Order: sequence, then C-alpha cells, then structure tokens
Amino acid sequence: MKSSGGIGVQGQELCNSLVSEAVRLGADEAEVYYTRSRKLEVVFEKNDLQVPKGDNYEGVGIRVIRNRKQGFASTNILSRESLNDTLRSALAISDASPPDPNHWLPEPAQVTPVLEIYDPQAGDLELREAVSKGKLLIEAARSFDPRVTVDSAAFAMETGTRFIANSKGVELGEDSSYIWCVAMGFAREKEDVSSFDAEYAISCKLQDVDPYAIGRKLAEKVVKSLGATSVPGFRGSVILTPYAGLDLLIEPIVFSINAENIQNGQSQWKGKLDSRVSSPLLSITDDPTLPRQVGSSAFDREGVPTKPLAILERGILSNYLYNCYTARRDGLQSNGHAVGSDQSVPGIGVTNIVVAPGNISLEEMIEGTSRGLVVNRYSGSVDPVSGDFSGVVKGGHYIESGKVVQPVKEVMIAGNIYELLGQIGAVSRETITLGNVSLPYVAMDGCSVTGK
Amino acid sequence: MNSYLVFDDLEVACSLKKWKSPHYKQEVEVLQNLLQSVVANIDEYVEIRYHKRIETIIDARSGVLRKVERRTLAGVGVRSLVDGCWGFVSTTDVSKEGLQNAVSEALQAAKAGAPLRDEKVNLAPARFGRGKFTYYDDSREPDISEKIRYILAAEKRMREASPLVEGTIVHYLQYEDEKTIVTSHGASVRIKDNKPSFRVTATVLRDGKRETATKSSGVTGGWDDLIAKRTLNELVDTAVEVAIKKLDADYAKGGQYTVILDPKLVGILSHEAIGHTVEADFVLSGSIVRDKLGQKVAADLVTLVDDGQVEGAAGMVLVDDEGVLGERTVIIDKGVLKSYLHNRESASIFGASPHGNARAFTYRDEPIIRMTNTFIMPGESDLKEMIAGIDNGFLLIDLAHGGQADSSAEFMFGVSEAYKIENGNLKGLVKGVTISGQAFDVLMSVDAVSSDFQIDTGAGHCGKWQPAKVDGGGPYLRCQVTVGGRHEE
Repeated sequence: MKSSGGIGVQGQELCNSLVSEAVRLGADEAEVYYTRSRKLEVVFEKNDLQVPKGDNYEGVGIRVIRNRKQGFASTNILSRESLNDTLRSALAISDASPPDPNHWLPEPAQVTPVLEIYDPQAGDLELREAVSKGKLLIEAARSFDPRVTVDSAAFAMETGTRFIANSKGVELGEDSSYIWCVAMGFAREKEDVSSFDAEYAISCKLQDVDPYAIGRKLAEKVVKSLGATSVPGFRGSVILTPYAGLDLLIEPIVFSINAENIQNGQSQWKGKLDSRVSSPLLSITDDPTLPRQVGSSAFDREGVPTKPLAILERGILSNYLYNCYTARRDGLQSNGHAVGSDQSVPGIGVTNIVVAPGNISLEEMIEGTSRGLVVNRYSGSVDPVSGDFSGVVKGGHYIESGKVVQPVKEVMIAGNIYELLGQIGAVSRETITLGNVSLPYVAMDGCSVTGK
Repeated sequence: MNSYLVFDDLEVACSLKKWKSPHYKQEVEVLQNLLQSVVANIDEYVEIRYHKRIETIIDARSGVLRKVERRTLAGVGVRSLVDGCWGFVSTTDVSKEGLQNAVSEALQAAKAGAPLRDEKVNLAPARFGRGKFTYYDDSREPDISEKIRYILAAEKRMREASPLVEGTIVHYLQYEDEKTIVTSHGASVRIKDNKPSFRVTATVLRDGKRETATKSSGVTGGWDDLIAKRTLNELVDTAVEVAIKKLDADYAKGGQYTVILDPKLVGILSHEAIGHTVEADFVLSGSIVRDKLGQKVAADLVTLVDDGQVEGAAGMVLVDDEGVLGERTVIIDKGVLKSYLHNRESASIFGASPHGNARAFTYRDEPIIRMTNTFIMPGESDLKEMIAGIDNGFLLIDLAHGGQADSSAEFMFGVSEAYKIENGNLKGLVKGVTISGQAFDVLMSVDAVSSDFQIDTGAGHCGKWQPAKVDGGGPYLRCQVTVGGRHEE
C-alpha cells in the first residue's frame, strides 16, 4: 500500500535511502519511520478567541539493530548533515547498549487499507474556517445560559502522511486526518462555582465533529451541577458515565493487557489469560478496522498489519497487546499493537476500544438504584498496578429510591477497580464514543463514598 | 517602542554562582542577526523564537534496557499581533525565506482572527532580556554509554534489593535546550540550559499482593548536579523500602485530620491547588481568587512565591518565551493575596508587570502563562515539635499517582507515604491515602511552618494544553485536610 500524495513519495525515498545507509554503516537490521503533517488549531479562553495556529512538521525516526543491540534517534531537521548525525547517534546508542535477543524487525505481510480515515475536506480546511467553528462552540454554550464560562475550548485539524521502511522489505504508507474539538468550563452564580467539566468529540471526518453540540452539552452539564451540596458517606452503587469510565475502567484495563506491563510484573492480569477477570456483563474488543475512527489504521508503528482482537469476552480475558519485542520475549508473533511517533521507539497501545453495550437503559439503571451516585467525571488517582483508586466526584448526582435527588460536591469515591470489575451490576444500552473509545454507562456495587 | 525597558547583557543572571562562560558558535550569532533582520521590517508586533531541543531518554525495566532515545526537535515559532489578535505559525524551515514566509502566515492568521476577537490584546511594558543566558556546560556532560551503565547498575541494584521485588523501572529524561528569541519590542536573547531528571518505580509481590512505590528527582543543570541532588541509588533504595512497607500496611480511615505535609506535597499544593488559580488567564475566566487581591486568604504564617530565578531548580526560567526576564512574584504575603501570575497580555489588563511566566514547551507551542518554581517560604518551627503537637493525625510524604485541582482550588492528591501520628508519636505506614480539600481553607488552617525547607518536585511536568518543566516545594506545614481512605467514618 502506498500513500496517495506526492509527499508520500518523498517520504518513501527518504526512508529507503536511510535504511540502505544504515545497513552500509554496519546495522544488521534498520527501520526508518517518516511522518509529515499539517495542523491548524484555534484556541478559545474565557469565551474569547486566543491564538489561531498553523504548523507544518516533518521528521524521521531511525532504529538500528547491530549484534542484537538496539539504538534509536530521531530528528526533524532533514538536512543531509542532521540525518547523518542522527544515524550515527542511533548506531552509537546501539554500541553502548547490552545485547538482547528479542530485538527484531518484522517481515513484510499483506496489509488491508482502512476506510475513511483520511478526509480530503479536512485537508482543504483553512484557518479562518476553523476560527468560525470554534466561535460556534462558544456561542452555543453562552446562549444556553449566561452563567456558563467556557474556560477553554479548541478546534483542531491535522492531516498527516506516514511511511515506514525496514531492511527486511517492509514498505508501507498511509494518509489520515484527525479533527478534534474540546471544551472545558464551569458555571458560576455569585459565590457558587460549579464543578469544572469537559466535553469533546474526535473523528477522522470533519462533518462528524459538531462544535455547536459540544458547546451545548457542556453548558447543560455545568449548569446542572450548580447548587451542589455534600451528602453523608455511604457504601453503595455508583453509575459511571462514559467520561468517568474512561479514567476509572478503561485506563486500568488497558494498562493490565499491555504486554510490557505483564513482563514487567506490574499487571494484575499476569497469568490470567482465559480466566475470569470481571463480571460477565463486560465484553471488550480492540478494533483497528472501524471506518472514520481515530484509532483506526492498516498497520502499526512497526509495519505489522492490524486486525480486530478480543480483549474480554463476557468477563474472560482473551488476549494481551503485543509489539514485536514483547511478542518475541513470550515466544509469540506481534498482534499489531506497536504505537508511537517518529520521535520514539515503538511502545504498546490500543487502536479503538469498543465496550459492548448492555441491555438496559440508563433510566432503568437509575430506577434500579436504591442509594447511589452518578459519577459524571472522576478527578483523582487510579493506581493501575494495585487497582486502588480514590478521588473526587465532579458533576456528581445523588440517587435515592431510584430517583436523582440532587447535584453533589466534595464527595469522594474509593475502592479497588479490579475488585469492582467483579461487582458490575449493570451496563447500559446507550454508548458514547470518546475519541478512540466507545463505552456505555456502567454501574458498580459496593463502592465506598466519603461525604461530609 | 521607547517605553519598554531594555537591559544589555544583563547582570541579574550573571550574579548566579554557577554562571558558566558561554560556548556559542558563530552560527548562533548569525541566526540571531537573521531573526533581527526579519523582525526589523515589520510594523506589527512580531516575536520569533528559534528553539532546538535534544531530548534523551534512557529506560531500564526488570533486567532489560527497554529503550534509549535521542530526539532532536528544532524549529521556529513566530507569533504576531494584528488589530488586537494573535496569530502563530511554526515551521522547521529557518532559511531567511522560510522565516519570512512564517512571519507572513502568522500575520495572516492574526488578521483572520481579528474580527472575532472581542477583547483586544495589549502588551504591558516589561524588563526584556538582551544577551546570553547560559546555565549548562555541555562539555562536562558524560557520554551516553556512561549514562546507560549508571542506569543499568541502579536497575540491577533495585532488582536485587529484595526477593520480593517483582518489577523495576529506572527512567532518565533530559532536555537540552537552546533558544534564540527576538521581538520587535526589543528583546534579543540566547538561552541555553539543561533539565535532567530520574524517576524510579519498584513493584513488590508477596502472596499474590502487589504494591508499588515511585520516587523521583530533577534539576536544572548538568548530570553532576542531578546526582549531587540525590543519587539514583538513594532513590532506588527508598522506592523498594516504601513498596515493601506497603505490603504490611493497612488502609487509612477516612475523615478530617490534622496532618503534616512534607516539602514535596507543599510544593504540589502550592503549584496545583493555589498556583493555577492565580494564573491570570484562569483569574480572568473566574477562578476562586478573582477580586480577592489584598484579602486574607491564608494563615499569617504563609508566604507563597513563584520564582524562575531559583538556581538549579527544575522550573528555572531566566528569560521567558516573550523575552521577559524572570523575577520573583510574591503571590501570598503573610496570608494576604498580593499578586497573580502574568504574561504581557494579562499584565496589561491588570496593570501589573510580567515576571517571566510566559512559557512555551517546544518551538511548536505558543507562550502561555505558566508557573516556574512555586513554593512556600520557610518558618521557624521544629519538625519534631510539630509532630509532638498532634494527637490523632498523619505525617504525609510525597505524591503518588498524580494530583488534580480546579479553578475553585478544590484538590485531590494521592499520597505516597502516610505515617500515622498518635498522641504525638510517629507510628507505622498506612496506604491508599488521598488528601482533598479547598486549598485556601487548608492554608488558612496552617498553625506551624518548619524551618526545614526544600524545593523538590522537579522530576514532573505540569500540563496545561502543553507540558512545562516546573518545580515546587517549601517547609513542612501543619494543617487540616480531608483524608480519603478505604474505610469511611
């Protein structure tokens, strides 16, 4: 697969010539990763336009392996002198490093392109249009209620080309685009300042990102959390919105399935493949093939083809995420989860995380709660190793006898996420997509709530 | 532009002990002259900042050198101001033509935004830097192979410290920065510094139970300065010791307590919970301290400052990215709120003077209001006596798993080490402790401030659209906070 534009050809030639040069200078294996991007960004603060920004970037990362010793260096100065210096640095780091039999680069393999991850409309967007889109967001929030302050908001667009070549014959390119709109703010009525809250949308398609809707939703949320009071502590059920679920559920799960964390002894799920790690209500897939989704791509940071991978099937752990290095350490093949930029050695990460919806509505979840809390956003710590978490509930709402009674503040929740995964009481039918994660509302029983 | 104060080859920075003679090559001067020639022909305000960063990362984990990376990131950020609106463009092309293109694109961006900008931007007068500001002698820096050996040896020490050790991380991060900043208001500086840090994490395992502890340290200066602050072995030994102690520790009981915060937590509180609320951009958008200048916001014992000139601290900023000289800002003076933190734009709104708090992380970022080194000044109390004065409380040391706060100054921090205090005596470690509250309420409750003092949060970054290297610290503080634990009262 070749990148479509003329830019790609330039990147391809650069990658190929640097790979040859690295081998000529004594590398056993070499990989060059090139990216070029154009970015527009418009930032608003305190309801007003700040700085319209434009950026053009181009850079390469060079990885060499000599006598099983790895070196890496990158540069965004693409002069002959700087490229030579970067290649020499990579070789010097390789010489200074101990050998490790698991350093290796992948062989070429068949790659299937992903649909609609590049939007030509985004590529044509001009700074003045981005400015108007941002303005729309601010107007939506402010016209909803004058008590709302959009503390900061941004509308951004990035189009990019990446290309990878290695000495084993991998030669791949891909174009993509990325539209991003975010708003953060609060409502204020005299001395009553609401919780700070956020709302955002991310997509590969310009038309999928609606600044007006984002402004409106943020305003609704922060106004609703005005007049919050504290509640006494209790042990009960918490309903995590997708925003809170992202921090409390997805982050520790993604940490625990990362093969680096397994091999480093940090994951709770070491040795737990094919065993139960959560309630059967939870099923999760990693899917790089979804059209228009920002986590989608045809190949990973090492040029390995990507494909859908089951993570949790009705609470049973199905797979870990591997790049070439960690796979080799476990005697396996990479499953295409190398991530990173031209400025870093490939790490491990997810593509798009999809949490399967449940079979009851959010309304029914609330009706079924005798005493609990809707956690709109979670601000606190989650130790992904032990699973212990403790933090403040932002924009929380207190539930009694199946009804939302009042907004709450200064309420903390605490517990152990790996224990609570076993106590999931319900998963909603509704799901929300936040960037590369789609997830439902999730109710967990037996959470400790500290009030005042 | 006669109203702007300008100092030539300024003495402020030169008075620092560790001032080192500059090693600039001629090409840097050529670049500075080039930037000046581009700026000279423009009527509008233009700021050109060339920034070259070499970032080095060495990361060893569980017996394996996981990665060594050397990243070169260089380019020019151009900011312009037209009809009260900013425009910003960044590029890697530093030829005269490339610079002229970038300037013209930045002017166009500002023009495009101007009709939508309600409150027009004005810039306050400032003390601008001129000349060379160097706080790094790269000729004394060891080569990469020596650093790799040192880090691998520390990783081995951690792995072999106890049979309970299950996982290890030893991480080194270094930013070598060179900047040339020229503005049409008269700033013209070359800056060179280096900000290295260590971070280590020990994971221990016993009977299926896992615990971790992370320790870190960072400075502005060379490799030798980093080691002089704290050796890597010292960090490694502490991390293993704390992680093992946590295996036997019970969870704390939640509730309101009298506690003693250590200098690291005082630094985090000063930065996260107080510092952000006094950043003038947050003040303008309605933070809790809006309209509170001159009011009592903390106990008389509390004086809190931000100071980019603290020698060797990781948030050291001699000249900021608007070309303004770093100076101390007294934010709270003996309990009274005295000042916000400004860039030139906000200083103009408030009629204040900027003290070097406009910072950009890379050439691709525009300068925004950031803290530098934020800390509380030392007092006169003795730590032992402070502990002896607590019937039922905690001594709290260091941050765990990050901290957060918002514009209402409500905060929540994870605590790395919490030691129970009963009847004036220090007892064992409890785990899973977080602290929360409203930061100004906490400062109002302060009844003792130690004479021991340290600036010591320098391994971390602050995130606000873009990262920044910052530092913070202070004395030990005795105060009231809400402790969150596993068990509710």
